[in-house]
Amino acid sequence: MKKEDIVKLISAEGMEFVIDKEAAMVSQTIRNMLTSPGGFAEAEHGEVTFPEISAVILEKICQYFYWSLQYSRGKETEFHIEPELTLELMMAANYLHT
Amino acid sequence: MSNQKKRIFQIEAFQNRVVVDPKYAEKTWKILEHAIHEIYNHNASGLSFEELYRNAYNMVLHKFGEKLYSGLVTTMTAHLKEISKSIEAAQGNLFLEELNRKWNDHNKALQMIRDILMYMDRTYIPDTHKTPVHELGLNLWRDNIIHSGKIQSRLLSTLLELVHRERTGEVIDRGLMRNIVKMLMDLGSSIYQEDFEKPFLEVSAEFYRGESQKFIECYDCGDSLKKAEIRLNEEIERVTHYLDAKSEGKITNVVEKEMIANHMMRLVHMENSGLVNMLLNDKHGDLGRMYNLFRRVPNGLAMIRDVMTSHLRETGKQLVTDAESLKDPVEYVQRLLDEKEKYDGIISLAFSNDKTFQNALNSSFEYFINLNSRSPEFISLFVDDKLRKGLKGVSEGDVEIILDKVMMIFRYLQEKDVFEKYYKQHLAKRLLSLIVKLKTACGYQYTSKLEGMFTDMKTSQDTMQGFCSSHPELTDGPTLVVQVLTTGSWPTQPSITCHLPFEMSALCEKFRSYYLGTHTDIKAIFGKGQKHELNVSTYQMCVLMLFNNADRLCYKEIEQGTAIPASDLKRCLQSMACVKGKNVLRKEPMSKDIGEDDSFFVNEKFASKFYKVKVGTVVAQKESEPEKQETRQRVEEDRKPQIEAAIVRIMKSRKVLDHNNIIAEVTKQLQSRFLANPTEIKKRIESLIEREFLERDNSDRKMYRYLA
Repeated sequence: MKKEDIVKLISAEGMEFVIDKEAAMVSQTIRNMLTSPGGFAEAEHGEVTFPEISAVILEKICQYFYWSLQYSRGKETEFHIEPELTLELMMAANYLHT
Repeated sequence: MSNQKKRIFQIEAFQNRVVVDPKYAEKTWKILEHAIHEIYNHNASGLSFEELYRNAYNMVLHKFGEKLYSGLVTTMTAHLKEISKSIEAAQGNLFLEELNRKWNDHNKALQMIRDILMYMDRTYIPDTHKTPVHELGLNLWRDNIIHSGKIQSRLLSTLLELVHRERTGEVIDRGLMRNIVKMLMDLGSSIYQEDFEKPFLEVSAEFYRGESQKFIECYDCGDSLKKAEIRLNEEIERVTHYLDAKSEGKITNVVEKEMIANHMMRLVHMENSGLVNMLLNDKHGDLGRMYNLFRRVPNGLAMIRDVMTSHLRETGKQLVTDAESLKDPVEYVQRLLDEKEKYDGIISLAFSNDKTFQNALNSSFEYFINLNSRSPEFISLFVDDKLRKGLKGVSEGDVEIILDKVMMIFRYLQEKDVFEKYYKQHLAKRLLSLIVKLKTACGYQYTSKLEGMFTDMKTSQDTMQGFCSSHPELTDGPTLVVQVLTTGSWPTQPSITCHLPFEMSALCEKFRSYYLGTHTDIKAIFGKGQKHELNVSTYQMCVLMLFNNADRLCYKEIEQGTAIPASDLKRCLQSMACVKGKNVLRKEPMSKDIGEDDSFFVNEKFASKFYKVKVGTVVAQKESEPEKQETRQRVEEDRKPQIEAAIVRIMKSRKVLDHNNIIAEVTKQLQSRFLANPTEIKKRIESLIEREFLERDNSDRKMYRYLA
């Protein structure tokens, strides 16, 4: 995988998730982050830290990205959300504009 | 994950609880404010987008959106004020460049800020109906930079000055111009219009007003128009390069008004170079230019048209009243033709075949041609002259072309009947002169029949008129058109004997008695022709009238009823039943030839586009052998009396002549008509001897003597 195609998302605990840029940009916020002019640190280094999102949530979010891509390509499956994650997940989603 | 047992779902407090104290908002804001500063100072790399975004997000989330927004406004304004100072400080030419650079910087910064504050843009702003960040940025720029006292006027004057410089021939930085103008357009079309376009148009108007005044005084019409055209194209090009496309129409209007509309009168009527001069000298290029420029302004073309029309009428009037040309009709008409051709050329080459100009041309010609009442006569004489000349030397194609042109002039005549009268006279003269020539070349006999035919036509017409006027009650019945022919003059046709239908024979009788009443010793023979809806030959008429009394007739019945000879009857039926489009009769069986057993019906389905349908007679086949022989024989028969007459004439004068000499003399006399055959001449002599016109000499078998 080329360096330009991937991005690293780091959770509050420091856990790192490496995913495709295409998947990450399902989030409008991340998309802006990476395409904004002006040389922000994230775009420069290819990694984004989310000090306010836990690893569990971040993991789920990454899964969501991929599911979303598949869904838009026609594979219409269900995305299961564990009930205890719901609130945090929603707030993160709001933050990430996903 | 440790301790992951199923627990009762309960909503827990958010883990990362943010401290909601007033200081929080201030702290967060400070971070963002700092970031904005950095952005404006080109120090943004190294900043964490996520951190800034999160801070803005939290502020909005915790109801501090107001603070964020107003803080943004303040910060940006402060920065822009600084920027404005630096722009004002720029010297001379660097002013625009500085402005352009700062504008680009601002745009970039604005985008970064908007990205960071995206959450606010999405949620807070729609809720409170505030201006979105991007627009806010543009508005702040506008208020603080563009509308700042010093910059505003300086900007406008710089732009206008650059345009002016370009107009006087200097090269300017068009890219820079384009960027600045685009900036104004981005700030809103009203900004563009108010801050630039309006003043631009005013200044341009003034500029062109002055320039056109100068031109008119220094240059003649043609050159002035050239200059106007150049300027017009220049402006159009200017717009494509660095102005808003919508300005094109406006600036071209300005140029048109100042350079053309205001001076139309003066240009057109300029001494020695105005419109009239151009017309006289066929200056197609200048005329075309004038046309293209004037058509852009209201009433431009109307003015050209009016001047052209009055000029044309003047020259035309002079043409037709000029004493010199009146002496020579051919010259007169030739001049008219030349004038027409000239203007046709002008209209097609310079005025792009404009219909209104064509109409003006036509009406002018019509006007002055009819001023001279002798025009029709002259035109007829011209045609006459050309047709005569056409026989010698000039190619047929050329004559055709000339006649076509004359036709165009002819259409302008109002008194076309006068033309007709003269033309008939000239035609008759031409024909008669032709006949006279034939007479002198070939002798009286040759032409007497032709002359006879002409006189017959004339007398027939007169007779017909007399007949119709003396029998007014006949106008309802079938109209009779009769040609009364002198037997000797016309090619002989076997006189037809057929039973004419009753109505016709009654009419014929009436005519016969009328005619015999006026001319006593001439037998009246009826020719062809009957005008009704169907124009048919006499035979066809007889056949058709039979169907008045019967729906269905078989061939034998028709033959009996009309007593028409068989071959003629067959041809006549063929032409009425078998010819497509003229099949007034239906035949059974539907074959091409007429058989003895065929039966005929009236064709109900007969339809034709025309009211008058002419049913011709199927043309007789090319003369078959027996027919050819027949014709040959007839010619021979005709020659016999001619030979005899020649022999008698010769013998009467010579009294005694030997055989060979007779042959020679006779041949000589007849050579203008035909080459006489010696054997034939011998036979004629024998026959004359038998009839006691001549006798053989007793002593010399070869000598002949005339018997009185």
